[in-house]
Amino acid sequence: MSAMPLLELRDVGRTFSAGIFSRRRVRAVAGVSFELAGDRPEVFAVIGESGSGKTTLARMILGAIAPTAGLILFRGRDLRSLRSSHDRLDFMRAVQPIFQNPFEAFNPLKRVDRYLYASARRFAAAAGIAEAERLADTALHQVGLTLAEVKGRFPHELSGGQLQRSAIARALISRPSLIVADEPVSMIDASLRMTVTNLFRSLRDQLGVSIVYITHDLATAYYVSDRIIIMRKGEVVERGDAAEVLRAPRHPYSILLKDSVLSIEGANGGDATPSHATT
Amino acid sequence: MLAYGRHLLKRLGQFVLVVFIGVNITYIVTHATPINPVEQTIAAVTNFGNTSPDAIEDMRRSLKALYGLEGNIWEQYVGFWGRVLVGDFGPSLSAFPTPVSTLIGRALPWTIGLLLVATVMAWLLGNLLGGLAGYFPRSRTFRVVGVIAMALHPIPYYIVAFVLLIIFGFLWPILPIAGGSGMNIRQAFTAEFVLSTLKHSILPALSLVLASAGGWFIGMRALVSNVVTEDYVTYAELAGVPKRRILGFYVMRNALAPQLTGLAMSLGAIFNGAIITEQVFGYPGVGTLLVEAVHKGDYSLVLGVTTVSIIAVAAAVFIIDLLAPLIDPRVRAVDTAEAHA
Repeated sequence: MSAMPLLELRDVGRTFSAGIFSRRRVRAVAGVSFELAGDRPEVFAVIGESGSGKTTLARMILGAIAPTAGLILFRGRDLRSLRSSHDRLDFMRAVQPIFQNPFEAFNPLKRVDRYLYASARRFAAAAGIAEAERLADTALHQVGLTLAEVKGRFPHELSGGQLQRSAIARALISRPSLIVADEPVSMIDASLRMTVTNLFRSLRDQLGVSIVYITHDLATAYYVSDRIIIMRKGEVVERGDAAEVLRAPRHPYSILLKDSVLSIEGANGGDATPSHATT
Repeated sequence: MLAYGRHLLKRLGQFVLVVFIGVNITYIVTHATPINPVEQTIAAVTNFGNTSPDAIEDMRRSLKALYGLEGNIWEQYVGFWGRVLVGDFGPSLSAFPTPVSTLIGRALPWTIGLLLVATVMAWLLGNLLGGLAGYFPRSRTFRVVGVIAMALHPIPYYIVAFVLLIIFGFLWPILPIAGGSGMNIRQAFTAEFVLSTLKHSILPALSLVLASAGGWFIGMRALVSNVVTEDYVTYAELAGVPKRRILGFYVMRNALAPQLTGLAMSLGAIFNGAIITEQVFGYPGVGTLLVEAVHKGDYSLVLGVTTVSIIAVAAAVFIIDLLAPLIDPRVRAVDTAEAHA
């Protein structure tokens, strides 16, 4: 018998009412279904342009907003049943977010190390400040930072790359089984982009963390993910094994996506593989 | 802490500079007027009979000494600063020989008590309600408050004041319409006097609060609705941080910095506001004093009131500048960066 799925989405949809006076409703996500296996960690990429409903989907998986249609199950439990603060904490221990803009991920008034200590106490049951510091330092080491670099610093005193890595460290402290990363590399520079995507790989392979990797960047998605779905206007237009889909897309939109990335390379006489994929 | 000390010194320097320039401009303007206080006083005194030329000459000499008009311009200027630093602005012309400082000392508590309190109250009220309205955009109550704020905001202050006067002074006369306290009550610290003062302050204070709280409300609501979409607010909500703390420490305080600057600027406008408010409500404050002084050509009183208001406004801004880095660490960063540059 196969293990219970880690995450399961059944026909998930979300509509928003547009404006105060209009009755018009905007459909952000419609009929999205997929499943992450409980016994085999993977990087699952959700690809789409801005406005395709990726971020709404991420927020629903995190339980920040509720779907207006369909079901989201985490380890077989409907997210809507997570009402008590105890349930919420348990859920957050297992599912951690990483956001797009590192400068918005931390309260500007709060020192970054305080976030890490709070995570250690809240999610990893650190007993004292010494243990919280140890857990924070361990997590920071996993992303190539040290506690000394962030200790006592406010968010504006760190660079975007340091902040995004601190955000990932914050997510790692609770030893989650799922990380929902919403465009985690789109605001950081190219060299760091590879560091982060490599980190996702090692999280999957060494710590057994599954990652929902939301992006519009085909190159990193191709490089890091096992399976992908491509979304357009809130709907899934193509899905499957990452390498297969990106090598030979079938849906016109996927083909367009791929062509628009590769057009520069084509002009330079490059071959038909994304630039990062072979590095 | 070192950075904060540097911040403090810099702001103190700015404060001194602003006061110095402001007082200089006032000095130049008052001394450039065609009014000659000495001759005016002599004219007033000799109006009622014949005075010997010797006596007039004596009077002229002692009046020149009183008004600091002896010697050449440079000596006058240095003497002026010497007296300003000890709070001596000479005798008032219109209320001769009462010293200007006494008149200001009498009027200042009324102005500060009414306008400072009303401005700060409007700021607190507007920001609190605006913050809540931005954080709970679907709440019916705060939507209604929003509509009221939008409606009140564009009405000029004096219209609000007159409407209140008509309603509560004429149509339904339950509140006094003029003065700072009952005329028949001795101004001492008694329950009767305090009560009467409060009663007299309700209408002017209410008009000030109604006219300005709307602006703070609208500003804060817009600032907060920007902050609530930030990811750190989402993260705090996901992590189960209590709502009250999210609203206070994550949302409101991050939106507060521009509002604090706004408060400093509106404190600067207190003395402008005093002129209109105190005229409309016949309030015995600095504004009334200044208008009377201008009408009567009371040279030294104008100089005194203006100097005091420059110092008061600069001091208010200075205090807010000192508070800003305690509320927002990013202000500290700017200052340190400037210090290194």
